[in-house]
Amino acid sequence: MLFFAAIARFLISLMPSPKTSRRLGWVILCLLTALLVAVPVLSQQPVTLKLLMSAPDVPPWTNYLVKEFEAQNPGIRLQVIEGPNNVSLLEDLYTTAFLLGDSPYDLVNMDIVWTPKFAAAGWLKDLTDEFSEQDLAAFSPSAIAGGRYQNRLYRLPTRSDAGMLYYRKDLLKAAGLEPPKTFEDVERISKTLQQQKAVRWGYLWQGKQYEGAAAMFVEVLQGFGGFWVNPDTLAVGLDQPEAIRAVEFLRNTISQGISPPGVTTYVEEDTRRFFQNGEAAFLRNWPYAWSLLNADNSPVKGKVGIMPMIPAAGESGGSCLGGWGLGISKTSKHPEEALKAIRFLIGETAQKQVVLDAGYVPTREALFNDAAIVAKYSHYPELQKVVKNGVLRPPIAQYAQASDILQRYLSAALTNQQSSEQAMKGAAAETRRLVEAGRMTKGELKTQNSKLQ
Amino acid sequence: MTKPSTMRSQEQRTGLYLILPALVLLLLVFAYPIGRSLWLGFFAQNLGTELKPVFVGFSNYVRIFGDGHFWQTFGITVRFTVLSVLLEVIFGMGVALVLNQTFRGRNVVRAIALLPWALPTALIALGWTWIFNDQYGIANDILLRLNLVQVGINWLGEPFTATLALIVADVWKTTPFVSILLLAGLQTIPADLYEAHSLEGASPWQSFWTITLPLLVPQIVVATLFRFAQAFGIFDLVQVMTGGGPGGSTEVVALYIYANAMRYLDFGYASALIVVTFLLLVIAIWLGSWLIRRSRSISE
Repeated sequence: MLFFAAIARFLISLMPSPKTSRRLGWVILCLLTALLVAVPVLSQQPVTLKLLMSAPDVPPWTNYLVKEFEAQNPGIRLQVIEGPNNVSLLEDLYTTAFLLGDSPYDLVNMDIVWTPKFAAAGWLKDLTDEFSEQDLAAFSPSAIAGGRYQNRLYRLPTRSDAGMLYYRKDLLKAAGLEPPKTFEDVERISKTLQQQKAVRWGYLWQGKQYEGAAAMFVEVLQGFGGFWVNPDTLAVGLDQPEAIRAVEFLRNTISQGISPPGVTTYVEEDTRRFFQNGEAAFLRNWPYAWSLLNADNSPVKGKVGIMPMIPAAGESGGSCLGGWGLGISKTSKHPEEALKAIRFLIGETAQKQVVLDAGYVPTREALFNDAAIVAKYSHYPELQKVVKNGVLRPPIAQYAQASDILQRYLSAALTNQQSSEQAMKGAAAETRRLVEAGRMTKGELKTQNSKLQ
Repeated sequence: MTKPSTMRSQEQRTGLYLILPALVLLLLVFAYPIGRSLWLGFFAQNLGTELKPVFVGFSNYVRIFGDGHFWQTFGITVRFTVLSVLLEVIFGMGVALVLNQTFRGRNVVRAIALLPWALPTALIALGWTWIFNDQYGIANDILLRLNLVQVGINWLGEPFTATLALIVADVWKTTPFVSILLLAGLQTIPADLYEAHSLEGASPWQSFWTITLPLLVPQIVVATLFRFAQAFGIFDLVQVMTGGGPGGSTEVVALYIYANAMRYLDFGYASALIVVTFLLLVIAIWLGSWLIRRSRSISE
């Protein structure tokens, strides 16, 4: 207070005429006093946490999560910013925000494959010490693993996603066939049904040159016992016989007429529409398709079964794990509040509400068998098996490059521009160069740092 | 010192002051980014280094020479650039000749002819994507109605047809730019040259080859150079129409550099790629203008 009075006096002394200046001085003194009172009041204004997500994902948040969280935490506001539908554009927006150094987002809503990159770039707060083993035990282990990078935890899963096999229960039953257990079964059943003219096409999958093809291929690769990149040893398995057999299997589905030639240009929605119109017996897709396939106007309503992705004979298969989770931006000015928000958002009540509201796949294991959820979605206990068998795409920092390499060569093999062996050899060589380069620069950096110290 | 020479040096100094703002501006917007890219190209700044710059000398540049993917995108870009610029100059010349004639409503037609150039590329790319859609596109509809094909062509799904579709879209979009430049050139050619030539019994076709084309060479060169540099850096059209697919067959250099910088966060390498592309472009333009100059001096 004295300080402000001194400033006011100083300002008065600068004034030319003493009378007007004294009056002005009082005005200034009053204003400064008002400011002094206002500052603490303003600082008690709620903290606003910002996060960006793609627009179609926003409704469940504004419907329930934001209201409930703000009611429980009066000092914190949650501001959800609507981003583009295309998730790679969303990734670009987060990336540019981080590159500018001072991210406007406190919470980071991440696709599972971004986590290693964002963590390696040093954009995310390390949350390892904030969550005990006990806290994490309730979640499906693969969803938690998807949030780790080099054994540190950066992301907590809010929503799961896993590739799975949809099949036409009615057609199989009519033909007296059991649901498939292997890739060979899919081929055999497809041919039988096609010969009986029960259905036009056998098996639909996503073969366009894009991220979805990499996810689809991970499952076939796992089903043949192969691997892409081992995150611990950084070994590359794309030119191994198992991987080549995996590509051959996909090519054969086209050449034998089980899959339409157009699968090499299809994304999820193309295949889903195809299957929904009753034109195919099997479909590889994500859980979102279930509610659309069973909508009232769907020709295949009630005729569809699901199962985890199957393997080749004698192997154990796995579904490609996707999903979303939350991390905290390193430059956030409110990390404490952000952590509170994450604890609420991954909590059982919040997740249950969103699952019921939007049909998302939970990351908490108990929710798959929750009475209220099973009453609404009877297939969730089965879905748990799918998620449990989840395979991660390689959690390495250079995943984006690795995926681009695979997509390019896989697309070339699937469209007959290269043989399977040739393409996979090329993909493996390029991927090896990539991970080796990553290892080398890291080594150089370490030696340089140790020299500096 | 004699008086005229001081005057000249004073004039020179004034001249220097006058161009100084332009020079500073050029340095800021042109030399600085290129110089900075050159500098960054000597560092590894990527996820392996936690985005901190680590000096690596020429290793980024060495890596480019062994980077088959880069040279593939480079080849695709050269093919796209040469074909589309060639077609644009030919069509642009045709349009310019038509617009140079006097007819009713010429001004309106000139304005309309310029329209594609004025539209935002990303939007017209969306339009062309629909035109070339295999199920609902107009391109297939016309071909099917004319019985030229029996099954709709999967335009954007095959390497050859996807490239073709991109070239068609680019030619449609930028021909007006070429034709406006050439039209300006046509208007500087005096009409009496043609009169004298036709009095000597020359046909319009002969006049075109002996008067129009030689006198238009400066404008053709300028248009070609402008278009060459622009087409080489094409990004938006390809990103929207094909995203570089299928099988990477339409992936141009700009797309590859963008992926390296924004998706792979490999800034050192992306900078080196920019520098190499820039140098190759400068060499190409220099070579092109040298060839043109030489052919002109021979013909004269």
